[in-house]
Amino acid sequence: MLFGRNQKNPIHIADKGVVEWKYTTCGYCSTGCSIEVGLNAEGAPVASRGVADADVNRGKLCIKGIFEHELFRQTPGRGDQPLMRTQRFEPFRATGWKEALDTVGSEIRRIQGAYGRDSFAIVSTGQIMTEEFYTLGKLARGVIGTNNYDGNTTLCMSSAVSGYKRSFGSDGPPGCYDDFDHTECLLAIGSNLPEQHPIIYWRLKEALEKRKFPVIVVDPRVTMFAQMADIHLPVNPGTDLVLLNALAHVILKEGLHKPDYLAAHAEGFEEFKALVEQYDPVTAAKICGIDEDTIRNVARVYARAGAAMTIWTMGINQSTHGSDGVVAINNLNLITGNIGKPGGSSLSITGQCNAMGTREWSSCSGLPGYRALEKDQDREEIAKFWGIDPSFFPKQRGMFMTDILPAIETGEIKGLWLIATNPMTSMSNTARIRKMLEKLEFLVVQDAYQDVETNEYAHAFLPAAVWAEKEGCFTNTERRVNLTRNVCPPHGDSKPDLWIFNEVAKRFEQGRQIRFPENAEGVFEEMKKLSRGRLLDISGMSYDKIEKARGLQWPCADGADQGSARLYADGVFQHPNGKAKLIPLPFIDNNERPDAEYPFWLNTGRVVEHFHTRTRTGKVGNGNKFSPTPYMEMNPDAAVRLGIRHGEYARLTSRRGDAVVMVQLTQRVAPDAVFIPFHFHECVNRVSLGLLDPHSRQPAYKQCAVHIERSADQDEAARQNVAARAY
Amino acid sequence: MFEPRPKEQAYAFVPDSTHPEKNRYGLPIETVPKGDARRGQSLNINGDPAISTNPNRYKQHGFFFTADNCIACHACEAACSEKNNLPPHIAFRSVGYVEGGSWPSYQRLNISMACNHCDDPVCLKGCPTLAYTKFAEYGAVLQDPDICFGCGYCTWVCPYNAPQLDPVAGHVSKCNMCVDRLEAGLKPACVTACLAGALDFGIIETKPENRVQVEITIPGFPTPEITRPNIRFQQTKPLPRELTRPDSMPIRYVNPEQGVGGLHRPAVDDDGRARGWGLAKLSTRENPLVVFTLISQAVVGAFALLFLAPLFGVELLTAARNPVAYPVFLFGLIAVETFALVLSTLHLGRPHRFYRAFNNLRWSPVSREMAGIAVFYNLLGAYALLTSVPMFTRWLPAGMVAVSAQAIGWLTVFAGVVALWFMHRIYRIPARPFWNHWQLLTSFYGSMLTLGALALVAVQTLVTLFSSGAGFTGVPAFLVVPMFAGLALEALGLWFHARDLKQLGGEGAVSHHQQTTTFGYTYYARNAVLALLLMTVASLLIAAPAGIAGLLAWLFGFAAMVAAAVVGRMLFYALVIPTTMPGAFFWRNRGFEEHARATGLAAMPQVGVVMEGH
Repeated sequence: MLFGRNQKNPIHIADKGVVEWKYTTCGYCSTGCSIEVGLNAEGAPVASRGVADADVNRGKLCIKGIFEHELFRQTPGRGDQPLMRTQRFEPFRATGWKEALDTVGSEIRRIQGAYGRDSFAIVSTGQIMTEEFYTLGKLARGVIGTNNYDGNTTLCMSSAVSGYKRSFGSDGPPGCYDDFDHTECLLAIGSNLPEQHPIIYWRLKEALEKRKFPVIVVDPRVTMFAQMADIHLPVNPGTDLVLLNALAHVILKEGLHKPDYLAAHAEGFEEFKALVEQYDPVTAAKICGIDEDTIRNVARVYARAGAAMTIWTMGINQSTHGSDGVVAINNLNLITGNIGKPGGSSLSITGQCNAMGTREWSSCSGLPGYRALEKDQDREEIAKFWGIDPSFFPKQRGMFMTDILPAIETGEIKGLWLIATNPMTSMSNTARIRKMLEKLEFLVVQDAYQDVETNEYAHAFLPAAVWAEKEGCFTNTERRVNLTRNVCPPHGDSKPDLWIFNEVAKRFEQGRQIRFPENAEGVFEEMKKLSRGRLLDISGMSYDKIEKARGLQWPCADGADQGSARLYADGVFQHPNGKAKLIPLPFIDNNERPDAEYPFWLNTGRVVEHFHTRTRTGKVGNGNKFSPTPYMEMNPDAAVRLGIRHGEYARLTSRRGDAVVMVQLTQRVAPDAVFIPFHFHECVNRVSLGLLDPHSRQPAYKQCAVHIERSADQDEAARQNVAARAY
Repeated sequence: MFEPRPKEQAYAFVPDSTHPEKNRYGLPIETVPKGDARRGQSLNINGDPAISTNPNRYKQHGFFFTADNCIACHACEAACSEKNNLPPHIAFRSVGYVEGGSWPSYQRLNISMACNHCDDPVCLKGCPTLAYTKFAEYGAVLQDPDICFGCGYCTWVCPYNAPQLDPVAGHVSKCNMCVDRLEAGLKPACVTACLAGALDFGIIETKPENRVQVEITIPGFPTPEITRPNIRFQQTKPLPRELTRPDSMPIRYVNPEQGVGGLHRPAVDDDGRARGWGLAKLSTRENPLVVFTLISQAVVGAFALLFLAPLFGVELLTAARNPVAYPVFLFGLIAVETFALVLSTLHLGRPHRFYRAFNNLRWSPVSREMAGIAVFYNLLGAYALLTSVPMFTRWLPAGMVAVSAQAIGWLTVFAGVVALWFMHRIYRIPARPFWNHWQLLTSFYGSMLTLGALALVAVQTLVTLFSSGAGFTGVPAFLVVPMFAGLALEALGLWFHARDLKQLGGEGAVSHHQQTTTFGYTYYARNAVLALLLMTVASLLIAAPAGIAGLLAWLFGFAAMVAAAVVGRMLFYALVIPTTMPGAFFWRNRGFEEHARATGLAAMPQVGVVMEGH
């Protein structure tokens, strides 16, 4: 039956009046989705849509990507001109670029002159373009010459990098998303795809709709991924290494491994076998909380699959043995012959849009193109290419980000340049970070947002362009180099990071002698030359070719039509002898475990609508509204004992400090564990510990002990929470 | 016409599927027969005269939701808001969830819900302005914000919270099924955006690829009987017996049967909340309606008693005996009714469109109520003119005036009673179980009697006190009896209402739970006052005291009756719990919205809560 008016007005449906779509790659996570930004007749960016024929996302976008054009429309907090002050407690004064850059240059020279070259540190990001990373690397290593230069990728992917290097001789994820279409068993450890990488989850789900295969999820929380899994292993926090060793134990004991593959392509089997011998399921079950039958079952399912793959994210990386966890995953895949074959892989699911780009080209951990400071040949090659003296380079990598900050505390570092990173919110133990930043003689904050909390301690603020306000490439999780075209001019008088780096270089004698290409494509051409013949060969790529292919996976040598889906398909690894290493990994339980005084495990993680410290997503209302304020998942059974009710505020204390947070009661978390998203300023990192991994120096954000009580004055707690929310 | 993306993926297109001739309710899936005049017309989207050649254009379409798969990634909500350019505080589609079990055998069931483009669109029927149309094209129920005057009645009647009243824009808007995309053969934006294989779309009663069920409900979904929604579900994973909501609504869903069979039914989630007065929550955005309904009922009652008094041989105010007080009283009734009407009009989001209230007399109880009140109001005016403004009728034969006045008086009484009947029909909403009870009649007609009599008592007393100088001489039983009857009706209705709410379970029981907890003291105090009033009025009837004692007793009675009526009506609006979908912890959580307003979080527009809650 139909009803309604007889005389109908025209149906009105919102029309944004898009006249042109411009090709970009998403600037949030590392999935690497192709996005088109729609411009209206006035040239204003008004819409986003997935690129239908892009292999990564096949037209899909997650909530963040769907509103990514809002970054150009919702601009509260954006920096529109450089800011300066002599003391951090003075108000900022707006200034021009010349004065700001001159001051940055002279302050760097002053500090280096007074305290030595390494007393000025640079910490960058995983958020800017690869060309910008390369240029920053050239500036940091070749001009400023500080060895204390790192990226905030130490907070997210350092363990994966370290693990890949230890096992395979080089960084570089061997697998790709296409592996979902071939695998016969997927093991996900500490990865919550539906929340963190929804598009990758969709790719997995599509593969499962076509062909069912077992999905095993290891996570202490019952995430949506855990619920969707065939087997969920609610592992005890910080014990995944024990579980992985036990899986290997069962596989070796039952002869389910691939001796031929190991003999041909790996070394260290005997030592490895001797170590995992100690991790029988009975012993392991008591530590990791997964019963022995389940351990055996999972080991058999995984080893018997024709092809099996493991994916992981921060659940592995952000722990005190994150690097070991990655190596253990590689061990598992080596003994089962699951490296470099379709559906058989170790695939780290990366965090930031260009974490890969910084790993490849920023020179943070060495020299560009996966070169090492420790290798004479690499130093000489790059010095010659840049036209500087090889002895200008240190012979060993300097400090990681997580060591640079403590070095400020001890006075070793006096000046710091932060690029698109926000340690005030992202680092553990906020009180200590404040103490460190306050000690700096000169802090430069270069960011798209001047309300980035770290700016509280800055002496100079350099407003940067964001995402598609500039041009360049990102490399995604599966080594796919993808392009972002310039969509619109930068906000206000902000500038592309590339321009800022080039301008800073001009403030140095050596910088005026080295060639710094003006535009991103020029830089890309330079990188291509440096990549030729290497694992990360991009010499076969060009901007137009990348856009046409919707991204190309390296290695892609000159003349190649396509990139390469997988690494190590030939079984030849990057260690000098071409073999992968099986490494024995003893488990040492060094976590701050819950005790009588601090009885709860504190876990942190991400939510789908937010990215990092919310400087962008906290201003996009249609995403932010799904979690506009921090919250803590807590088990109702535990809450009843503490008299805490759903929606009330609780006070957390740890050995570092305290925090106030709204409580969401849910059986998703264990009775002795709580979970708080890390995105919010003045919340979880006031209490978190962040012990460092010995190999990767990545902090263990996901394990520490806290005490919880109901906030006695709920109104005051609410006021505290509001006061901490500038956005 | 909407342009598909270059090299659009297959998943974005609505598949051509074989479907049964009729849906499960016996309604043809073909919306209009071949050759019907309504075929082959342009939808005129944004003025575009193009006519789509979609072969399934005249078939009822609907969403298909695989609840097993939804991961609450918000992609559907985001895609919808992006496409429709919605501000953060408005959403045509929302994802809520229910959860149950205990760690680690915990389960969460996410539910993504927009408009279900129902076979029996209660929004369309309820809308007084005819802003809604159910189109032959795709069976889409579309709403035109340019016609809407923002009364929000559709948001009351819809069980799925589909129509969105925007307090900033002052009108309702809702899901438009992306008919522009459908014209191009594309699925709606939300469906195309789904990242979990959960949300799909197609001709109703068809099963998408790889799906095994075509069910009409899942836990948390209101009974499809109300509107016959065009949505189908798959939910095969066994769920915990009891599911709770993350929002502040104290509802849980319990499956009376163990295992896979059986349906989850809403029940009270007794969270042990303390009993209180709930005064802060007593005041709602419907406050103008509290005034409007009570005044209208009082005016109808007062006039009826005044007009009928002579019939019972009772001498109240008359034009002859009270040449000043009588017209003042009659015009006073008109004045307060005018005030009530103005108030209820200003309560609209777009008051200047008030004249559209009568557009939908065929279906909408709102239109009928407004028409009823308008007829009563005009008849009352005519009666007042005929009886108390002699200059208008001087030229007419006196007999004719008297006869006309008598006829119009009867008509006015009748129109008043009918208007109140329609007024009660407004609230008989299946999606609002707390209201959907015959107690409404006892309350509305009870107030009519009590407050109407009370108004006359007040005027009568004032007139006697000031004109005769004889002091307070008591109140005629003709007024006390209806007053007592009104109070008794009210009390009787409330008693049965509470009993039935408890028995019926569901959202109604939850309302009753709130009534006895959050608003407990207020509720019981009102009941006590009502009981006290019954006794007081009974004793006043029997003893009929005069003098100061009588006056004081009546003063108390007057204050208590007005207070009980106002508080009772405020409770009526504050307590209603719609059979809506579960919300999430922040989004669509009334508790968080109130908290955000109270703490000032809502001052940031990106929080998605607008400050103007009332």
